[in-house]
Amino acid sequence: MGTYVLKRIITIVPIFLLATLLTFGMINLSPVDPAEAYFAAAHIQATDEMLEQKRHEFGLDQPLFIQYVNSLIKVGQFDFGISYVTNKPVWQEISARLPATIQLTIGSLLIAILVSVPIGFLAGIKKNSGMDHLSRFLSFIGASIPSFWLGYLLIFFFSVKLDLLPVEGIGTWKHLVLPSVTLAFPLIALYTRLLRASVLENLQESYVLFARTRGVHEKIIMGKHVLRIAISPMITGLGMNLGNLMTGAIIVEAVFSWPGFGRFFIEAVFNRDVPVIQGYVLLAAGIFLTSNLLVDLIQMYIDPRISRRGRQYR
Amino acid sequence: MFNPKNKKRLLLMAVWVLIVSMALLGCSSGSVEKENSKSSNKETESMVTFAWPRDIGEMNPHIYNPSQLFAQSMVYEPLVSYQEGGELKPHLAESWEISEDGKEYLFNIRQGVKFTDGTVFNAEIVKKNFDAILKNAATHSWLGFISKIDQTEAVDEYTFKLTLKEPYYPTIQELAVVRPVRFLGEAGFPEDGDTSKGVVKPVGTGPWVLDEYKVDEYAVFKRNDDYWGEVPNIEKIKVKIIPDAETRILAFEKGELDLIYGEGVISIDSFKQLESTGSFVTSISEPVATRQLVMNTNKEQLSDVRVRQALHYGFNKSAMVEGVTSGLEEKADYILPTNLPYTSNVKADTIEYNVEKGKQLLDEAGWKLPKGKDIREKNGKPLEIELMYNSAEVIQKTMAETLQSEWAGLGVKLNITGVELTTQVERFKANEFDMNFYSNFGAPYDPHTFVNMMVTEGFGFREAISSYPNKEELQNQIAEVQQTTDENERQQLYTEILGSLQEQGAIVPISYIKKIAIYQKDVSNFTFPANRDEHPFTGISKKK
Repeated sequence: MGTYVLKRIITIVPIFLLATLLTFGMINLSPVDPAEAYFAAAHIQATDEMLEQKRHEFGLDQPLFIQYVNSLIKVGQFDFGISYVTNKPVWQEISARLPATIQLTIGSLLIAILVSVPIGFLAGIKKNSGMDHLSRFLSFIGASIPSFWLGYLLIFFFSVKLDLLPVEGIGTWKHLVLPSVTLAFPLIALYTRLLRASVLENLQESYVLFARTRGVHEKIIMGKHVLRIAISPMITGLGMNLGNLMTGAIIVEAVFSWPGFGRFFIEAVFNRDVPVIQGYVLLAAGIFLTSNLLVDLIQMYIDPRISRRGRQYR
Repeated sequence: MFNPKNKKRLLLMAVWVLIVSMALLGCSSGSVEKENSKSSNKETESMVTFAWPRDIGEMNPHIYNPSQLFAQSMVYEPLVSYQEGGELKPHLAESWEISEDGKEYLFNIRQGVKFTDGTVFNAEIVKKNFDAILKNAATHSWLGFISKIDQTEAVDEYTFKLTLKEPYYPTIQELAVVRPVRFLGEAGFPEDGDTSKGVVKPVGTGPWVLDEYKVDEYAVFKRNDDYWGEVPNIEKIKVKIIPDAETRILAFEKGELDLIYGEGVISIDSFKQLESTGSFVTSISEPVATRQLVMNTNKEQLSDVRVRQALHYGFNKSAMVEGVTSGLEEKADYILPTNLPYTSNVKADTIEYNVEKGKQLLDEAGWKLPKGKDIREKNGKPLEIELMYNSAEVIQKTMAETLQSEWAGLGVKLNITGVELTTQVERFKANEFDMNFYSNFGAPYDPHTFVNMMVTEGFGFREAISSYPNKEELQNQIAEVQQTTDENERQQLYTEILGSLQEQGAIVPISYIKKIAIYQKDVSNFTFPANRDEHPFTGISKKK
């Protein structure tokens, strides 16, 4: 098991390097000069000398390779550089905004679990019932509705028309409801289907049949045995979606003026604030990689066959 | 009734509910109280809530990004203020004298002005601010007079002397800009006096004080009750940071906002829709800038003045402006708005829509329509022009499409290319374009900034108009207008410069850009600032 974990951690390094290379490459493919973007954001008609000075300040006058290596060395020391626009360390900017994003992520995860577990479970044990149709309807909607639009719709009905919740901002739990629901919606669609399928699959298993022949009460079979086993693919799904949730928050944060780091990232893209863009992408990559690793480890703990299989293939 | 099974289930449910409510409340326990206290305050004090797309920034008067101009102008004040019609009024300077040779400016500093921390505003602090600004002169070199400053001196407590290396008339006008020449109190300076790295705290002399601030969330400005000038009616201004335009509208409709103000802060459709409900007050400002179409005279097709004029004749400007902007902009006849200094009596023929005249001019210029073809040709070369527009700007895009179809009627093929803003700027500077949209800076930067760009390398205009037959004369006139100390001569020169720029037809005025404001009915006395970058809160009031 120890070697398995070590191996998994070592594979993270090349993936991480690839992420840095891709971000760096993409930013440099863009025809936009960050120095120009800086002055455009400041409403200044920059002269050539001013532009050159800015490029020098940003280190953009050096060869691309050197720029890349420099940024790698800094990232290795957990230094993501200084934001071009705000002139503050990127890490400081991101960590100041991280709590808001985490709060939103937790809120939507909770909503996703609270809604999708009962619906998915009931839809599975009562196939083709009203609940099953509801679950199907929910997942179609959830999978196809763009989150920004859903956000506007929710604001319009629950905030402007019904006056139940605030339109935007952060503060009380009321502020958290609409953005969390918006962010949770696609997840609800996914998990409901996942759980339903898994419940259906488990109902075919022989242990259900044995339990029934033993005369175990149906409620105990379902609640104690089927649900417990059927829910495990959902846990995997949750872990893998943690990254998605954080990055999906970009749009939701912009719509609801949520002061998280997704919204900060959008502004950085508009201003070509390269260090912030890089910092964000690396952080997102880090979250994806760690959450995947964690999920794998949890799975391995639940089902030790996984690590043994790994050994066999070697 | 309570068998163990049920009990367990109940317990489980209770735990769930507890976890969820704690998670939801735990994140926000601090702010609940605040919300309550805020609503109880509402009855006792007047506050106008206003939305802005970006965080107000660090409130440093001498730095650009990420500070927002309107917020800086609420706290910091200039020596001279720019008023309606370009009138330059004394502000923190009570009066000023300019020497015969136009190089020495002697400012009498207003007495009795205090910073919000109680310290006195005097010549010494003016000098200290100037020194901090001049330490980073390169950053501020876009502002003409900065690089012409020879020395600054506090002559006595209330007299400040500014000496220039050469005469430069726009100095007084440039002193009205929002940044960098506004004044920070002693307590705001870092130890080494270099404000480019940040300020300790935002201490100004202005009518507002920053009271409460949460990055990316909101900022509350409190009225400065000891303000030397006219004290604002409203006690507080709350700026909510709402990056998304649709959300701003929804928040406004719900009543969470009292005011939406600015340029391009909401879409034209939304403005019209809100206006049509009749539940709000809408207002449109005087022109703040001109939307122009710049033609590159270095390109063969556009080198002939007759072609340029033909294109101007060949589209229905008033219909286009009305159609595209729904009346939020106004058809422009002159390349600079006529409410700027020295621009009101430009003598140039305005061009009215006349397709026949346009066709005739193109024929005269040798671009003839071959039989059986739609596009004019000259020596076998078709009359094909590219127009570059900022793809993020709906107005530019729609206008480009309109021009494309209008000019097709003249026999001109217009190719339209959408690019990113910075690419647009780069290509314009590098003279790699046929036609481009541009808009001038407006008050308080023009007309001198605009005409100066005509003769300075690196901005794109000098190169674009380089095949003007009178370009040398223009260059001389523009150099002269900045240096002359005679008011009449200056007016005369501007009239000539702007007149001949317009006659040559490479800069086509399209529309006058305006600001918009929408506010709730209990808000009154809203006025637009004359200076494009200033805040609009001076006289605003709200019914309790």
